[in-house]
Amino acid sequence: MRKEELFARLRANTHQQFDMPDMDIHALKYPDTLQQFIKMTQSSGGKIVRLKKDGDLNAAIAEAYPDAQVIASNIPGIKADRNPDLVAEAQDLNRTDVGVIRGEVGVAENACIWIPQTMKEKAICFISENLVILLDEASIVDNMHEAYARIKMTDYGFGTFISGPSKTADIEQALVMGAQAARSVTALSTFTS
Amino acid sequence: MSTLHAKKAREFLKEPAKITHHDQTFWGMRMARDKMVSQIPEWEELREKASAIKRHTISHLSDYLEEFSSNLKKNGVHVLWAKDAEEFNQMVLKILTDHQVKKIVKSKSMLTEECGMNDFLMSKGIDVVETDLGERILQLMHLKPAHIVVPAIHITRQQVAHTFEADGISPEKGNDDPTYLTRCARNSLRSEFLEAGAGMTGCNFGVAKTGDVVVCTNEGNADMATSMPKLHIAAMGLEKVIPDYESLAFFQRLLCRSATGQPTTTYTSHFRKPRPGGEMYVILVDNGRSDFIANPDHWETLKCIRCGACMNTCPVYRRSMGYSYSFFIPGPIGIDLGMLKDPKANSGNISACSLCLSCDDVCPVHVNPGSQIYLWRQQLEHFGTANSEKKLMSWGMSWVYRNYSIYNMALKVAPLLNYVPKSIIGNSKMNPWCVGHLMPEFVRKPFHVLEKDLEKEYEKKSKIEP
Amino acid sequence: MKVGLFIPCYVDALYPQVGVATSKLLHYLGVDVTYPPKQTCCGQPMANAGFERMSRPLVEKFEKVFKDFDYVVIPSVSCSAFIRFNYPKILSNCTVSEKVYDVVEFLHDILRVTALPGKFPHVVSVHNSCHGVRELGLSSPTELSGPRFNKIVDLLNLVSGITVKEPERSDECCGFGGMFAVEEPDVSKRMGEDKLADHIATGAEYITGPDCSCLMHLQGIAQKEHKNIKFKHVVEILAAGL
Repeated sequence: MRKEELFARLRANTHQQFDMPDMDIHALKYPDTLQQFIKMTQSSGGKIVRLKKDGDLNAAIAEAYPDAQVIASNIPGIKADRNPDLVAEAQDLNRTDVGVIRGEVGVAENACIWIPQTMKEKAICFISENLVILLDEASIVDNMHEAYARIKMTDYGFGTFISGPSKTADIEQALVMGAQAARSVTALSTFTS
Repeated sequence: MSTLHAKKAREFLKEPAKITHHDQTFWGMRMARDKMVSQIPEWEELREKASAIKRHTISHLSDYLEEFSSNLKKNGVHVLWAKDAEEFNQMVLKILTDHQVKKIVKSKSMLTEECGMNDFLMSKGIDVVETDLGERILQLMHLKPAHIVVPAIHITRQQVAHTFEADGISPEKGNDDPTYLTRCARNSLRSEFLEAGAGMTGCNFGVAKTGDVVVCTNEGNADMATSMPKLHIAAMGLEKVIPDYESLAFFQRLLCRSATGQPTTTYTSHFRKPRPGGEMYVILVDNGRSDFIANPDHWETLKCIRCGACMNTCPVYRRSMGYSYSFFIPGPIGIDLGMLKDPKANSGNISACSLCLSCDDVCPVHVNPGSQIYLWRQQLEHFGTANSEKKLMSWGMSWVYRNYSIYNMALKVAPLLNYVPKSIIGNSKMNPWCVGHLMPEFVRKPFHVLEKDLEKEYEKKSKIEP
Repeated sequence: MKVGLFIPCYVDALYPQVGVATSKLLHYLGVDVTYPPKQTCCGQPMANAGFERMSRPLVEKFEKVFKDFDYVVIPSVSCSAFIRFNYPKILSNCTVSEKVYDVVEFLHDILRVTALPGKFPHVVSVHNSCHGVRELGLSSPTELSGPRFNKIVDLLNLVSGITVKEPERSDECCGFGGMFAVEEPDVSKRMGEDKLADHIATGAEYITGPDCSCLMHLQGIAQKEHKNIKFKHVVEILAAGL
């Protein structure tokens, strides 16, 4: 079908038009945004570890995942065995124990963390058995309206909000963490004191 | 006067415990949704504005589709327009064969269900692997979805275990623990993700201003399907386009709370450009939508964001199950969409509604699916699918009510019914009321007779106490 | 204020005591009530079945009979809702639709009753009929966000000695739905059985609600299942002792 045909039919069949509403909304704000983010992260099945900005990230990761053998990351300073920028194929990231990635915005209402793609293979965000997301606490906002006002894509043209581990309740409504992607997610939230 | 839905429901209701489980499962989801709502003081405002955004967008659909497709192209995404299911399926086949793809992994898409894409591709020798756990279970069992969000909710863990064992997915015979079974599925699907030549997703929202294809999942399977295979095909219904990120915030906040009572899906992924070294196609599908827009009573059905809240709250769906409906989408929105798509084939669903209007109240975008069912009922005569017994009964009632002397006579005679033997009047084939009830008693003195005595009593009283 | 009393067809034929209670209560409260003769039906059953056009003569008749009253009061939420929301679509220049009140609404919102004379020392479970909840606003629908209220409960609590309960699924449909009960008898029966069980679980002796059609449905099921629970329309309880 040519789009011109479609558009002509749509216009002919539209009998009434409506304006956009006033988009102002008094959306939920929290008395303690950080506390809400922590609470929602935990209820989404995620973990949260707070660390001072100049703290030892690698030590924090090792403490959260002491049994991790294979770590993947392209973040400078992170001790990694694999780099999602340098692997030949995305499949090569399979059997990564911990993927370490960077989040840009946190959302208190639902524990979402916005992760724009900053690596060649975004598979690291999904194929890793466990995920560590670095997040600056100053970038946590109250709700999705605020989040969407802030998020930016990178040149890679992909971004995702992740809230806790991959999950499913498809078998008899029994909640299981780690359906197809990360079995656990730890937000490593950094702060300046 | 049994409709198709009524007949199928009767069969399912022969297993009352199963129905109890089904009812309680979906009532639980409704309760989870209510809990979310109680935490968002601005909830009704979100609904109002989301509805208004959709009305605006749909009534300017060609403009937004123009903007959307132009941005997709700028981002290096191929854009195709499919007139109907057949064209869509052929387009997908062509893309896959042009890229020599033998296996495609896909995340959940009701649109692909609508177009019958899986069966079509499989008939052409392409392996289609559903990766949403519920859809995968159904695929292996050769069954259709019974709900649009939790499609395999009616399948027991024993059935899943049995299926997985038969397909070599579960090595431990007799282990039906959901966590174990999910792990088995994870391992099995992991190989599929790694090997597949293409990944297909649906699209929850298409953002016109940026060209983003937004896909929401809890499992992350849409992301897995598009992070290894270098070819991504997104199937999108025309009505899924929304103006911008500001609008998207409303829908993102409403969708998952309405659907499952979670504050968000685990993943809300924005696909704007093809992967480095990869290709991305968006196929925009009409399949009747450009005609539905012309229907003055029912065009707002296009606002639907496929959350499933209406079926979760529907007391009829909860007690009759998805397979009682003749359309691939069940529940209130399924009744409406089925009537838009093929009124003659789907008129048998129209009876599946007590007009309680709970669905109108839960719909995040004010589609008012229940109110629409009332309107569809008025049109059955026009489609030639009105039930003749119902019509006769309605006409009969109307005739009696219009002629007072007949009404009065009928009420004088009615108490005789109280004496008809139960074996006759209680015969449920003749008198469907008696499937579940005993007959009410017709009184000797209806109100309009008693009223005369009342008037006398009032007059007497007013004479005593002026 | 001149009030016209409309007694729906099924109340006339099956539950005239509800009409009597309504008439007596309004009379007791000093309302100038008239019961125009030769009433029949508001037209709802045919319309809900899909034959709205068959209701038209009844709509016209209703308009003619009641147009000169200030209010029209009806002891039925389904009829009141049908008249209020559907009549303007069926009959242009309809004037009655704005004057029609279900008796609970009328007592609560117009007369603003704050005291009732009667005693009803029993436990009752309130059946919040769908039309009352979602069309007339007798109670806050559990689906919506906002403050919780229930006009039926407010009025019942004015009756001395009463204990008022609500079932766990306080505004789920009972499954009557007019012709739904005969067109989908198995689903309707199952919905009614579940609702009945929910009411019985409150420990109530009576199930009460603002619409006899719901009560008729539940009562028919209760009788078939030999369940020992009684039924009264709300107005019968409010008019206790009169």
